[in-house]
Amino acid sequence: MIIKRLSQKFNVVFPTRRQAWRWLLPILLVFLFLSTLLWLPWQTQRMEANERQEQLIADTLWVEQTIRFQLGRNEENLRTIASEVTAGYLTDTRLRDRLVTMIRNNRELTRIVRFDADGKMIMSSDDSAISLNEYSTQSRMTAEQARESKTGLYSHPAAMPGTSGPILLDYHVPLLIGDQYLGSLVATYSLSSILNEMVPWWFAQDNEIALTDQDDIVIDKRAAGGPGRSVYTHRRALDLPGAALTLSTNSVKSEPKLLPSLLVASVIALSLGLLWSLWALWRDINRRLAAEGALRHQVSFRTAMENSLMTGLRARDLEGRITYVNPAFCEMVGIPAEELVGRSPPMAYWAPEAMDEYQQRFTQVLAGTVTPQFETIFQRSDGERFPVLIFESPLVDDSGRQTGWMGSILDISDRKQVEDLNRRQQEKLQASARLATMGEIASTLAHELNQPLAAISSYTTGALNMIDNRAALGDEFDLDMLKPALEKAGTQAQRAGQIIRSVHTFVKRREPSREPITVQALIDGVIPLVELQARQFFVATQVQIAPNLPSVLADSVMLEQVLLNLTRNAIEAMQNVAPERRILRIVASLENDAAAQPSVVIAVVDQGHGIPQEVAERLFSPFFSTKAEGMGMGLNICRTTVEFHGGTLVHANNPAGGTIFRFALPVLSETVAETATAEQKADA
Amino acid sequence: MLHIVDDEEVIRDSLTWLARSRAITTSTYDNGAAFLAALDTKKSFDPQGECVLLDVRMPDISGPALFDTLATRGLAQRLPVIFLTGHGDVPMAVDTLKRGAFDFFEKPFNDNKLMDRVQEALLASCDAGASAEIQSRLGNLSIREREVLDLILAGKMNKVIADELGISMRTVEVHRAHIFDKMNVKTAVELARLLK
Repeated sequence: MIIKRLSQKFNVVFPTRRQAWRWLLPILLVFLFLSTLLWLPWQTQRMEANERQEQLIADTLWVEQTIRFQLGRNEENLRTIASEVTAGYLTDTRLRDRLVTMIRNNRELTRIVRFDADGKMIMSSDDSAISLNEYSTQSRMTAEQARESKTGLYSHPAAMPGTSGPILLDYHVPLLIGDQYLGSLVATYSLSSILNEMVPWWFAQDNEIALTDQDDIVIDKRAAGGPGRSVYTHRRALDLPGAALTLSTNSVKSEPKLLPSLLVASVIALSLGLLWSLWALWRDINRRLAAEGALRHQVSFRTAMENSLMTGLRARDLEGRITYVNPAFCEMVGIPAEELVGRSPPMAYWAPEAMDEYQQRFTQVLAGTVTPQFETIFQRSDGERFPVLIFESPLVDDSGRQTGWMGSILDISDRKQVEDLNRRQQEKLQASARLATMGEIASTLAHELNQPLAAISSYTTGALNMIDNRAALGDEFDLDMLKPALEKAGTQAQRAGQIIRSVHTFVKRREPSREPITVQALIDGVIPLVELQARQFFVATQVQIAPNLPSVLADSVMLEQVLLNLTRNAIEAMQNVAPERRILRIVASLENDAAAQPSVVIAVVDQGHGIPQEVAERLFSPFFSTKAEGMGMGLNICRTTVEFHGGTLVHANNPAGGTIFRFALPVLSETVAETATAEQKADA
Repeated sequence: MLHIVDDEEVIRDSLTWLARSRAITTSTYDNGAAFLAALDTKKSFDPQGECVLLDVRMPDISGPALFDTLATRGLAQRLPVIFLTGHGDVPMAVDTLKRGAFDFFEKPFNDNKLMDRVQEALLASCDAGASAEIQSRLGNLSIREREVLDLILAGKMNKVIADELGISMRTVEVHRAHIFDKMNVKTAVELARLLK
């Protein structure tokens, strides 16, 4: 639960089994390291304690040796004196000198007294009178034992009876000549003097030194460095004949503490730091793993995407060197990526014949200006050319600095084919739509042909009637009378012929051929048919053509078709408006925009019902029609045709009500010059 | 007088020329409204008879609509209408003929045949003018006078008439005198010929 919550809180991913194995060794090592780290100060402490203990033992031994040695030497001296006394060498004066000298040389000795066999003082080193009876009980008992054993013995330490003076240690040396007991020599040591004089100061400084009896009762002690801590202690028996004394040393030093605790603290701090850093590392690694996983996923996704992409991708640096191509691009041009990346222009996929275009574009790339979208051709490795559509956009890095150019390359050979097919179908459709239009106007045509025919018939019949009745008319009859009627008949016959001619060119299906043609001729060619339709709906036709309009390169039949379609729509749009508003205007003017190529704009203006917004949106869609019998191809074909001529077909609302359809045709450049020179000449 | 109502200038002109060649006077109107306006200011009918050549398709008022207007004004007889059409739509032709149009011509027509029919129409117009006169005279008769008139035309004597109607001889004679006066005749024979 807690782990789960923690993991949620810190966003920690727990390792899987395989990762756990990988983690086991470092974790074990860390624990080993930590335990070593903890064990080490403890061990150090112990070693130090041992060392001190050993040092103490050694020092104690040394001190004991020193005491023993000193006491032994004194024993030796006393025995020498005793033997000299028994041999009778020493007079009283000399004995006294010897004793005084000895006392002076050995400050631990308090005094030396020579007693006779009855325990009366014969000679004393300090001239004070003292009898053996004044000595402590233990001392007197030792005197007896010494006398019996005939060897020097130490008494048990004790104070002088009846005084609380210093604890004294007496050494009894019996004076014997043979078995004759002459008395004894008693050397008295003060225990505190022994400790003070015999133990060196440096030892006394660090240790409490005590002398204890066999019952561990402290007889005397020296504690110059303070009381002992009972941490490092050693006991050593002094092994004096007659007295059981033990030397106890107790170091004033406590167990080693300060250094280890610092060490432990630092070890703990280090361990905690280590654990924390381990955890941080683990978390970091987890994050890295997660990021790496995400990255791997992204990379594989992107790679898969790039590989499955049909669009070729090509990245270039600012010098135009290729820095990246995707498999689709390689497949497109048939060159492996390693032969493309790093290459500078000219590229292997450039078609030799279009090299100028590429170079021009490449100059633009270097200048930092790139056409965002253009069509060109590339060459496959087998030499085959194919059309491509290229979208170029700047390649910008994280800091917003442009590092190169990214291009998407579409192989549009399929699309081109489809476009060709579409165009052919459009042409067919146009032809059939032309026929359909023809069918629609056929009845109108019949009616309209009837008008001139009927008129011709009436004029001629009337003229014939006149001639037949000339007798009846008599003088009134004049041949000149017939002239206007016959002239009018002729005019009507021509009108009929014009209608038939324009219909004939209208139905004829042919390949588009663009020839220089004046707008005047274009509009004149179509006006008879337009008027024919206009009359059917009682629409007045007005034509306004600006003077000196330059020629355009156009297929006149196709454009006539466009004009007919537009005018027919315009006429039909005015079916339900008041007759005085039924005015169809065809306006041609020159648009000389400085920025663009000059063009001739032809506008078809009606004052009909206008185009509602929802219809306007679908106006140019194929098979969309507002007419019950309409095919929905008219405007679509018109637009295609206008675009084929390099122009655009747009519509706008007529401010005076109704609609304006307008299309622009690029002016034939030579004719502009011609017109200009013509005008100059005219001015001159 | 031939009224030509057609929006086509050429047609009006050529038909005028044709009518002139047959010595028929014409007046032309380029739309129906102009023609109706002319009718409104018209004082009297041409004694030579009048007829209308009407184009079916016209901008403001179509031919049949104009014809219906004439019919509701009771002028269908006095102004016989001959329709002209460029579209040979037979149903419309039949329809107009049923409603009392004089004739129906499809362009291109045989001009002299059209003129023949025009002349017939003019005659019919004259007849219609005459019968319209008689009708208006008859309209002036009272109900009793109509009864007496019917019996006179049946060839009955005054006495019999008086008996049948249950009135006196004297009263019949007064009615008879009024009838002759109103019908503008002198004798019963003349009356019978008029109402034949």
